[in-house]
Amino acid sequence: MSALAWGAVWGLAAGLVIALAALIGVWGERKVAGRIQMRIGPQELGPFGLLQTLSDTVKLVLKEDITPRAADVRVFRAAPLIVFAPIAMSFAVVPYAAGFVPLNTSVGLLFFMAVPAISVIGVLLAGWSSRNTYATIGGLRAAAQMISYELSRTLSILPFVLLAGSMRPLEVMDAWRWWWIPLTAIGFVVYLISSIAEVNRGPFDLPEAESELVAGYFADYSGIRWAIFMMAEYGGMVVAALFAAAFFFGGYLGLPGVLGPIALILKATAIVVLMIWVKWTFPRMRPDQLMKTAWKVLTPMALVQLVIVGAVIPWL
Amino acid sequence: MTVASLIFILLGAVATIGAVMTVFARDVTRMAIGLGTFLVAVAGFFVYWGATFLGVAQLFVYVGGVLVLVLFAIMLVHRNPEGSPHLETRHDVSALAVAGGLFIMVVMALRDDVPASVDQGISSGPQELAEAFLGPMLTHFEIGGVLLLAVLVAVVVIVGGEER
Repeated sequence: MSALAWGAVWGLAAGLVIALAALIGVWGERKVAGRIQMRIGPQELGPFGLLQTLSDTVKLVLKEDITPRAADVRVFRAAPLIVFAPIAMSFAVVPYAAGFVPLNTSVGLLFFMAVPAISVIGVLLAGWSSRNTYATIGGLRAAAQMISYELSRTLSILPFVLLAGSMRPLEVMDAWRWWWIPLTAIGFVVYLISSIAEVNRGPFDLPEAESELVAGYFADYSGIRWAIFMMAEYGGMVVAALFAAAFFFGGYLGLPGVLGPIALILKATAIVVLMIWVKWTFPRMRPDQLMKTAWKVLTPMALVQLVIVGAVIPWL
Repeated sequence: MTVASLIFILLGAVATIGAVMTVFARDVTRMAIGLGTFLVAVAGFFVYWGATFLGVAQLFVYVGGVLVLVLFAIMLVHRNPEGSPHLETRHDVSALAVAGGLFIMVVMALRDDVPASVDQGISSGPQELAEAFLGPMLTHFEIGGVLLLAVLVAVVVIVGGEER
């Protein structure tokens, strides 16, 4: 029973971490966006407006949870959870500290790519079950986008599997050397762009596109279910940043004790800020540009990265 | 009853519910959801037997890829305003006989070997899997390939049948 109990504890912990990350993330996003647009951002509640998101959360939880009359009720209600759960699961294979990863599996890196892929289904079902044209278009766009960028994202982390000769997160971290940073620089660019696309954030937010699709696949969601979609988005962003901080930038390595995880979190925070920065700097892409970027730019770049690493390995 | 066998029964129940839903659902999207439930349960079985790589690959390829394409196709297909077409088969008796026969075969094969423990010595990592597929299991692998080919031919026959 202990394995199941531990699983439940980890699941709860992941849920709390994501909730906290979303709270801080939304605040950070509004602050960064404010600075970029020469505003101040939230400042009324608490120091630096830190409590703003907390009060927004209370508002969201208390809001009525509306289900459209024409919706497929059961699918409509389940969809946010199908989007959220895989994202929460992917937190389990990030190496947080020396010798510590919640799920130490031999296929950790593949797990990190494969499990969030399930949330595409949740997005599609959310769009479909709303019985709403905007939502369906959003769902379809999301599916096309997420499948396309999954490929380049997976290719971009393959260099680590080649370099370490293992997909086990801790073995990759043990094999990690500082010169992997310049060696996998192209891979990081591909990974960062694909990750932004994978969590449907600007400039890749065509599935949501609030100005044309009025939030796309979650147009009909309100209250707590809408909040779960937002948590999935921020959770996806945070876990992508944690993963990048660990594998592309060495995570906790080189620092003793508790400083290691702190370094990991700081690196991840920097990547999250970069993602927010990108969102508020670039305009939304057109669907054809989106597909072109995925198939004609990022995938070849990831393959070039793979060739570079493949050429280096025999000399090690 | 141990926790392991409880998980096994739970996975079996989920897989059965998914399979039944796939066959009997009236709505084609519901069928796809049923199929997804079934595929996730199969991935769970792989993990249960210690074949983690296979389980994660199952999730990646079938749930994250094939099922998404299925849903994508369903959404792009024009919805018939007169409701869903009436689906029926001329082979319901023979299909039932084949399904029943296969079920009896599976029960007979597993009767004395009810899964009791998780560790059955099945390969877990990608390397062991590759060695098994290209070594002692080569024949099984090839037979699986032939079966898939037969399925493809069957699909062509079913789809092409309308035009003749």
